[in-house]
Amino acid sequence: MNAADAPGRERGQTLRRRLAYTLLLGYALLMFVPFAWTVITSFKTLPDATRLTVIPDPITLGAWEYTLSRLDPSVVVLFANSVFIAAAVTVTNVAFGSLAGYAFARLRFPGRDALFLIVLATLMIPDQLRVVPVYILFSSVGLTVGAGQYVAVIFVTAVSATSIFLLRQYFLTIPRELEEAARIDGAGFFTTFWRVMLPLATPALAAVTILAFQGAWNGLFWPAVFLSPDSDHWTLPLGLTLFRLTGGQGTNWPPLMATVVIATIPILLLYIVFQRYFVEGIAAAGVKG
Amino acid sequence: MRRRAPAHRRPEAIAAYCMVAVPMLIFLLLNIGTFLYAAYISVWNWNIRSGPVDFVGLRNFERILGDPIFQIAIRNSIYYTVVWVPLTMAVGLFLAVVVNQKIRGQTFFRASFYFPAIASSAAITTLWIFLVAPDGFFNEVRGALGLNPLFQLFGFGPHQNWIGDRRTALNSVIVLNAWTTSGTFMLFYLASLQAISREVYEAAAIDGANAWQAFWRITFPLLRPAHFFVATVGMIGGLQLFDQAYIAGSPNGDPVNALMTIVLYLYNALFVQIRPGYAAAVGIVLFVIMFGATLVQRRLFGGTPAS
Repeated sequence: MNAADAPGRERGQTLRRRLAYTLLLGYALLMFVPFAWTVITSFKTLPDATRLTVIPDPITLGAWEYTLSRLDPSVVVLFANSVFIAAAVTVTNVAFGSLAGYAFARLRFPGRDALFLIVLATLMIPDQLRVVPVYILFSSVGLTVGAGQYVAVIFVTAVSATSIFLLRQYFLTIPRELEEAARIDGAGFFTTFWRVMLPLATPALAAVTILAFQGAWNGLFWPAVFLSPDSDHWTLPLGLTLFRLTGGQGTNWPPLMATVVIATIPILLLYIVFQRYFVEGIAAAGVKG
Repeated sequence: MRRRAPAHRRPEAIAAYCMVAVPMLIFLLLNIGTFLYAAYISVWNWNIRSGPVDFVGLRNFERILGDPIFQIAIRNSIYYTVVWVPLTMAVGLFLAVVVNQKIRGQTFFRASFYFPAIASSAAITTLWIFLVAPDGFFNEVRGALGLNPLFQLFGFGPHQNWIGDRRTALNSVIVLNAWTTSGTFMLFYLASLQAISREVYEAAAIDGANAWQAFWRITFPLLRPAHFFVATVGMIGGLQLFDQAYIAGSPNGDPVNALMTIVLYLYNALFVQIRPGYAAAVGIVLFVIMFGATLVQRRLFGGTPAS
């Protein structure tokens, strides 16, 4: 548009755009306010925690000391359990997801379509329908006591249709010529997969890694099912219930907020570094609809 | 017709079976198999240690449907879903349209709007309980802004306990989850928005349509497959509400069943009352509700776009 033709309108538009932009920026910053408030509160004393002081008065490490040394089970144990379970679930999801994704995308074998349909059908079955039979099955083979509890949580989330589906879709987009060159050189199917296809699928592998890790790290339902009886096996999300939240009254907020920070920091760091893969993973998972 | 692979393709088939074997066995055992096993367990009075005690037929289902607490759970889960899904879709779609514009800092805005979705539901719910506590951030801020008379009109005092009061507990969880999930819905919508060609809008602009008309006449109808997908994912997630209710209301769904949901009811039946047969029947009822709701939604949104 020519500014000389309609100067008033042009100025109005610029003003409107500035206003919209400011509102947008305000809303974006609002997304960070609750988390920032959590961090601030973790450096406060309990009486100060319910006041609107942006800079803690006094600033104290008391809550952090409490969280790091006084929780039972220790926050270090909770953290280690979370890391162990999330790492195991991530490794199995990436390994099984890429192998099966490759086979479904590229190899020809009898029953392929039927098996893939079964993979997709699992998306229709809610975890809550599975929980009773899975619990009974696992308790009959000793996976609901002792270290077996870890195995139970990992086993039940070890593979997911989403991981297989995402990797299959990505493998389908890779040109066949690259594989054929390897095949002519005498490489077998596993070698082709490992040497040629896997390196080419890095973006999809990154997205699946992040989705799987995030799901396992943040998960509450399966840990609540299998780990509840024995608090030494708890993960960080379960550990948050240690503070006995009773409708928000009589809670020791600063150490609780320190625990929230500890439970969120790993995901936050991943998000800052790999933001792109979070966004792409979610978008790709959505495209299947 | 020959169903076996031709001889020269046998190695390919064997390699493929090796690659899919473990995931398929896990799926058959822990998904498809448990589906049938759950149906079997649900018609028994089942002991967690010794297994089936006596055959009760459909009596578990009769008891569930007749239990007043289950009726509260169903009402809460449906109320939650019916309010939360459209609300979160609207916010998510709005954010997606905004982020899809050619604006400076597009990546920053997208990353910010998705930010609340990255933390665990347990952590974010704990944080939320703190923010909306009687002496919490929210009540203090509205007091400082002089908004208390407005809240007083609706019967909320200056120290309203949003998550501990049965009148507001479920709505607080709805606002919390609309806030955290709208970023995810934004990303779902964004993928579809980017697929709409610019030419359609240029043609509309030539015909004199303004941005508002273009949105309602072009964008919104063309997003119909996305609406269906997001609504289905949302509905399935909504009916499965558990984490927030478990953290905020303990397994009892406090205060006074205000946060009792279908899944929390199931969790209680299995781990508090220790009635596996009954809990399995609750799982079947939930599945039937979800399946039925999906079919209804397919009717509403499904089929080909109307254009």
